[in-house]
Amino acid sequence: MQRLAEIVIPDDLLASARGGDAGARRVLFERVAPGALALIRRLVRHRAMADDLLQDTLIAMFEHLAEFRGEAPFGIWVRSIAVSRCLMAFRSPWQRARVALETWTGEEFTAPESDARNADLIDLDRALARLSPVTRAVVWLYDVEGWSHEEIARAFERTVSFSKSQLARGHARLRTELLGPMSSGLGDPMKGIGLRSGIDGQ
Amino acid sequence: MDSEDARDHELVVRLRRLEAGGASAVPGFGYEQMLARHAARQARARRRHLAVRGAALALLVVLVGASIWRLDERVARPVAGTESPAKPAPGLQPRIVRADSYLAVAALEDHIAGLDDALNYARASGGAADVARLERTRAELLASYSQLRYAERVSATF
Repeated sequence: MQRLAEIVIPDDLLASARGGDAGARRVLFERVAPGALALIRRLVRHRAMADDLLQDTLIAMFEHLAEFRGEAPFGIWVRSIAVSRCLMAFRSPWQRARVALETWTGEEFTAPESDARNADLIDLDRALARLSPVTRAVVWLYDVEGWSHEEIARAFERTVSFSKSQLARGHARLRTELLGPMSSGLGDPMKGIGLRSGIDGQ
Repeated sequence: MDSEDARDHELVVRLRRLEAGGASAVPGFGYEQMLARHAARQARARRRHLAVRGAALALLVVLVGASIWRLDERVARPVAGTESPAKPAPGLQPRIVRADSYLAVAALEDHIAGLDDALNYARASGGAADVARLERTRAELLASYSQLRYAERVSATF
């Protein structure tokens, strides 16, 4: 699957989509949706919320298509919309209540799909799921998506120190979960199994 | 410290492997379904907005009506000891039922908070038309809210 940030859309397809051509918009949807959903699911582990956020992201993308100036790849522009939608969901008391309620009733809050083939990656996936949503988002945006601390601070409307401390906290937690406090290796295979129950503060 | 850096590096390598090995995420809906879901959600939001406004208005009418009625009753009540003994005993007096406004106020506040979130997003994404529309809606809701709080205050003084 192509990473969202690497998706480049031909100009003619974009022009047709901007003009309201339903066929072009459908093609755009099919190109962008899987990558956007993969990123959103990394940040928001709640399946129904991830679907809602994907819908919000894509609707915003179509509504603001005319504002895309082509200075960066199309996927990066969509990624910024998706991340901003996820962060809004983290801040929303309604979304926090929804996750808490559905977790309490045993619905919806599911383990991440074990898309990794190796045991250590499965452990990592589970350890990530145990981080708080904000910490997980900072770790993922910095380590995988390549955002700088300044970009993360801007997105979260916080300081650079906030981003650095969240990253350090996330790394420490993941190291403890996966590598053990002193030794390297995978550590206790039973560690990391289980789920956080909801979205906590920032 | 070096060992910690090395472990962080190992962690980053694993995270990137995790992303690279990710299974394709298939959305639970297609393009047409997305449009239909969006339309349904907008219709729900409109209905909710109308219901909140209707409830606030109805509550306002009830509160103001109750206040006026209670005021009239106080003015018309004779001074103790001055009523004529020949006067027939009054029938059952109507009772005032005080409607609790807490839920409506909370719903209005939630709705305004939701609008604030939407406004933040609209401002960040530069949609001037959206911002104007949301600000208009927010102003209307704030007007309803202030009327409601005023009516509560008026009613509390009687």
